[in-house]
Amino acid sequence: MSITAATPLAVAKPRRRARSSRQWQGLLYIAPAIVLVKIFFVIPVLFTVWMSFHNWPLLGEPSWIGLGNYTRMFSDTRFSAALSFTAYYTLIATIAIFALAFPLALFVQNERRGVSAYRTIFFMPVVVGLATASLLWVWLANVDSGLFSPILRMFGVTGRSANLLATFNNAFATIIVMVVWKIVGFTMIILLTGLQSIPGDLTEAARIDGASRWQRFRFLTLPLMRRTLALALILSVTGSVLAFDQFYIMTSGGPQNRMISVVYYIFNQSFVSFQLGYGSALSIVLLGILVALSIVQLWLLRVGDDK
Amino acid sequence: MIRKLLAAASVASLCLVSTAMAQETINMWVRTGIGTAFTSLADAYNASHENQIALTEVPFAELVQKYATAIAGGQAPDALSLDLIYTPAFAAAGQLQDLTDWAKGLDYFDSLSPSHVTLGTYEDKVYGLPLLVETSVLAWNKGLYEQAGLDPEKAPANWAEVEANAEAIRALGGDNYGFYFSGGSCGGCMIFTFTPLVWASGADILSEDGQTATLDTPQMRAAVDIYRSMVEKDLVPESSATDNGVNFLSFTNGKIGHQSLGAFAIGTLVNDYPDIDFGVTMIPGVDGGTSSFAGGDNIVVTKDTPRLAAVQEFIEFAYSPEGQKILAENGSLPTRSDIAAQTLEGLDPRLQVAVDAIAVAKTPYTLLFNDLINSANGPWATFTNAAIYGDDVDGAFANAQAEMQSIIDNAP
Repeated sequence: MSITAATPLAVAKPRRRARSSRQWQGLLYIAPAIVLVKIFFVIPVLFTVWMSFHNWPLLGEPSWIGLGNYTRMFSDTRFSAALSFTAYYTLIATIAIFALAFPLALFVQNERRGVSAYRTIFFMPVVVGLATASLLWVWLANVDSGLFSPILRMFGVTGRSANLLATFNNAFATIIVMVVWKIVGFTMIILLTGLQSIPGDLTEAARIDGASRWQRFRFLTLPLMRRTLALALILSVTGSVLAFDQFYIMTSGGPQNRMISVVYYIFNQSFVSFQLGYGSALSIVLLGILVALSIVQLWLLRVGDDK
Repeated sequence: MIRKLLAAASVASLCLVSTAMAQETINMWVRTGIGTAFTSLADAYNASHENQIALTEVPFAELVQKYATAIAGGQAPDALSLDLIYTPAFAAAGQLQDLTDWAKGLDYFDSLSPSHVTLGTYEDKVYGLPLLVETSVLAWNKGLYEQAGLDPEKAPANWAEVEANAEAIRALGGDNYGFYFSGGSCGGCMIFTFTPLVWASGADILSEDGQTATLDTPQMRAAVDIYRSMVEKDLVPESSATDNGVNFLSFTNGKIGHQSLGAFAIGTLVNDYPDIDFGVTMIPGVDGGTSSFAGGDNIVVTKDTPRLAAVQEFIEFAYSPEGQKILAENGSLPTRSDIAAQTLEGLDPRLQVAVDAIAVAKTPYTLLFNDLINSANGPWATFTNAAIYGDDVDGAFANAQAEMQSIIDNAP
């Protein structure tokens, strides 16, 4: 009995030691990443949470106010306006980006003459920084010296010069077009990767079985692309919810404060009104919103997997 | 012999050490595009003094937050040329050096620009002193007047004349426009150029104690109508609607008939655009009178800077007849009234209009200037954009009035 009891132990022990050693090895490999994440994410987030419980002026001494900053949000109409504008922008930008990125990905999917050039052309704006792109578009959209106004006039879209950034609808449309121009190549590349990972013999078999082009896309390509689409969607939604540069640079949040995103509002509270405590509380709430959005999207993905 | 050599060497090294200790470099921040007046003053100081001043230009729109961030990070400059309107807020935050005793000991303290000293004072202590003084005035382009068949020497006396003359200039066609203002999203520009229309007629946007928003007045509505009318008649370049202050000096392109500018712009025009022949007059009110914004910069000193004595030496140089002359020669107004006449002697007579404007000029005193007025997203900038370019003037008045009051009421 003692021998039988001892034997499995004797066998199990070195195996456990080996596993533990491998775990340590693995931990060692990711240690630098853990340290970096702690320094640049966990500690700042904890500090931000701490700040959010204070009245923390940029100049002067902070004082503890408990949940004061969080309760203040409920009556802050400018914050709710920023939230609804950000949701509206996220919706429109995401739809616009996907509506163009998917056809582009399908267009550059197959190897044929000149396809590399198309891929390069579509991807090129991605390498330009968003702030740089915004400044470029401010210049292009300038009513006196830019290029868009005379072009629109030439094609008869506007009778006289068009001040693209002066009214909400024009400025919003201009920013959406800029963002789509800037981002669509990135989304296209992600979707292209997904498309190319679909085994060719599957589509070939479907084709032989008599499935039409639309049926192959609807019942084969789309379901197999779900994970890739989810990744692109999460990236697009997160990017849009965190939008700041384009509104700050292209319209200064105008006309008439109607284009202030949540991040822009946090910036204003923190660095214009110098209320770092309130800015921190808003940041934590935004972080919560982003985590919730990502969880919902990942959950939707998992629900699909179970089927 | 060796002993003598050693002694000489140690004396020499002591001299070097003491020279190195005496010579100090003041780090000072100024706003980008501050103009030649201040940079010329700094150059003259560096050329004639052992201590030196090193200037860092910071974009105007970012100056306040960068300074605040630098203070928080322990990287603040020794001194700052600070838009005078911000002095109360910074002094209230306890970050500035109290200069009261030294300042009041200056023989000419009582003749320093009063508006600047008022804004530089917080709870009876002096934290800021005038550095650059300017007032807003109305400039007109004499060359364009001539081309449009108007009398170039006759200054417009009221807004009806400004508008009529602006129409004549616009009729020249091409890129010639009658009027310009940075109205789209530049609250600072509009408080400087637009509120004098209202002040001259006895109204104001804030009560005297700064605790009540008084935006919605018949005078303000009349002022809005004047600007709206010029925009509707296409007398103003369309870029005005989105201008965040970058094109504030549009008048320098020579194709703008009228624009309200500051004394610094007179200096810039005289020095850098000698081809533009222009006149300067007071800004008329909506129903008579004239007014102006007393603007410019105070010099403030970061609390407990180790180079306080050097900064004081620099300020005294700026106030010396030599310093005042350099400033005036480059278009900035005299800081000291006791030597103003002597300072302006032989200089461009147009500066005198800006000096005269000091007597009627106003500067709002509030700790919330950034939130209420200067911020591109504050109620004032939003109001001027909505009221002048938007479709719902009544809504613009109601929203701005309510938001201004809400910011005042909720101030920490």
